[in-house]
Amino acid sequence: MSTVVTNPKALVAKARRLPPELSILFVLLGIAVIFEVLGWIFNGQSFLFNSQRLVIMILQVSVIGLLAIGVTQVIITTGIDLSSGSVLALSAMVAASLAQSADVARPVFEGLGGLPVFIPVVAGLLVGTVCGLINGSLIAATGIPPFIATLGMMVTARGLAQYYTHGKPISQLSDSYTAIGAGAMPVMIFLMMAVVFHIALRYTKYGKYTYAIGGNMTAARVSGIDVKRHLITVYTIAGALSGLAGVVASARAASGQSGMGLSYELDAIAAAVIGGVSLAGGVGRITGTVIGALILGMMTSGFTFLGIDAYIQQIVKGVIIVVAVIADTYRSKRKI
Amino acid sequence: MNRTVAASLLAALVMGANPAFAKTTIGVTMSSFDDNFLTYLREAMAAEAKAKGVDIQFEDGQKDVVKQISQVENFIAQKVDVMIVNPIDSAATRNITEKAMKAGIKLIYVNRLPEEKLPEGVVYVGSDENVSGTMQGEYLAKKLNGKGNVAIMMGELSTEAARTRTKGVKNVFAKYPDIKIVEEQTANWQRAEGMNLMSNWITTGKQIDAVASNNDEMAIGAIMALKQAGVAPDKILVGGVDATPDALVEMKKGTMAVTVFQDAKGQGTSAIDTAVKMANGEKTEQFVMTPFQLVTPENYKDFMNK
Repeated sequence: MSTVVTNPKALVAKARRLPPELSILFVLLGIAVIFEVLGWIFNGQSFLFNSQRLVIMILQVSVIGLLAIGVTQVIITTGIDLSSGSVLALSAMVAASLAQSADVARPVFEGLGGLPVFIPVVAGLLVGTVCGLINGSLIAATGIPPFIATLGMMVTARGLAQYYTHGKPISQLSDSYTAIGAGAMPVMIFLMMAVVFHIALRYTKYGKYTYAIGGNMTAARVSGIDVKRHLITVYTIAGALSGLAGVVASARAASGQSGMGLSYELDAIAAAVIGGVSLAGGVGRITGTVIGALILGMMTSGFTFLGIDAYIQQIVKGVIIVVAVIADTYRSKRKI
Repeated sequence: MNRTVAASLLAALVMGANPAFAKTTIGVTMSSFDDNFLTYLREAMAAEAKAKGVDIQFEDGQKDVVKQISQVENFIAQKVDVMIVNPIDSAATRNITEKAMKAGIKLIYVNRLPEEKLPEGVVYVGSDENVSGTMQGEYLAKKLNGKGNVAIMMGELSTEAARTRTKGVKNVFAKYPDIKIVEEQTANWQRAEGMNLMSNWITTGKQIDAVASNNDEMAIGAIMALKQAGVAPDKILVGGVDATPDALVEMKKGTMAVTVFQDAKGQGTSAIDTAVKMANGEKTEQFVMTPFQLVTPENYKDFMNK
């Protein structure tokens, strides 16, 4: 939405206002500094200046990050996607079942030989896309709240993932498939998707419509945007990203398991919200979500680095999530 | 309420006394359908039920105690002959036991031993959980020649298996003054989380000689992380529990040092066996135990087809 600012005072205020990601970046740096200091005190070594650790930090949130990129766009339209973790599992199962090496025991498609790697990848993406399309169509056609539509998908997709092999894991995936999850590949895929959708949201008509719908759905409709069609597109993209996440997760674990991605949707939503995406819609950027995901990854690494009691970790994590958002809200309020 | 009880008692009596009259029905509630080991257990039960010609119905408790109780209530209303419960929380089974006793429905707990003292007529089929951690720990300690740094990878903290297995290995290591536990964290039974945790441990630069994992999935995650970091497989001993097919493949590759075989098939088969006996009014032992077995590179081949 482009607004014409006529009041010169407001113009100054607007110029002075920092992008919201900057404040969340400070939170990230703040947490990093805390771990750095504690690291020197308790472990006698640096937390940050270890390239291996920096890669791991991003690596362990790459899958959640992919989901978060999708849910960010959904939240901007004032929606929500609770199905991403389950859709991930379903895509992972379907992709893994087609990615097994030749001559291994197969829970499904018995007797199938090794397939070229693009088949399981496309299948995984397709499963995610279809789930997203169903989510979007349900919401657009029936007008039920996104919370309910995606909740239904969350339960259904998890059930399908279990039903597919009756709960059996699918292992011994081909080397060309597991290469997708090896080394820093998940990081590359995550960051690549982040760049693509950052550009899409900021510089294309797709992005403009997304923010317009989130800002004021009625106004968007009146100004000629096909809101229903656009919502279907947004949910389908989110579904496709969940599918991609399923491919990456199964390749990384070299196994497809129906319990994969359990409650990942909440971590993805947390990453987006920490990153400044407003649940009220219309506000948020991919850069913020990426930083939000990094905060989650840094906390996991930092806790293990310091050897914090496993029971305490979750408590601290919960508190930090809320504090980070309060800090961000406070900062943006003060600026207005 | 009274009528329901009377009716179900009558049904139980009729069916129990005349097995030829109606097919024996068994209701099973599993703590989770997502767990690999429990899936093998479930399949063994289904196969044995088919072989014995009894009707069996499975419900997924989804790790939710409340959900499991309502599944038990449904089974009672349905008047199954025997209920098999794989409890989600071994400390919260009293409610289930009481409901079954009151309705006069025969009850078997499988795989996880309830902490309550089981009343007469309620049977446990499973293994002694305390043993698996001890077996794993003793083997690792021997391989380390009683000296070294050990990291413990724990399962989901709320589960009894995570607690008892961790306690088991810790008790063993406590006997060796030169074995030090340097890390102790959870990876929630999951392979991907085990991989993340191991990667994080490697970057701390601490010397680790052995990883004692509460299950095979996390152990495989640790092995994958070691491989990615370029650590030679003979540098760090990795031990798991469950002896899943994937773990045996790792052992064949020489990357897994030890695992403990918990006999899913044995437990599942004897659970159904016991259930049928109980339905026919035969007497059974109250504790039907299936022993754990140590799986090492020397004997792993024996377990490949189990």
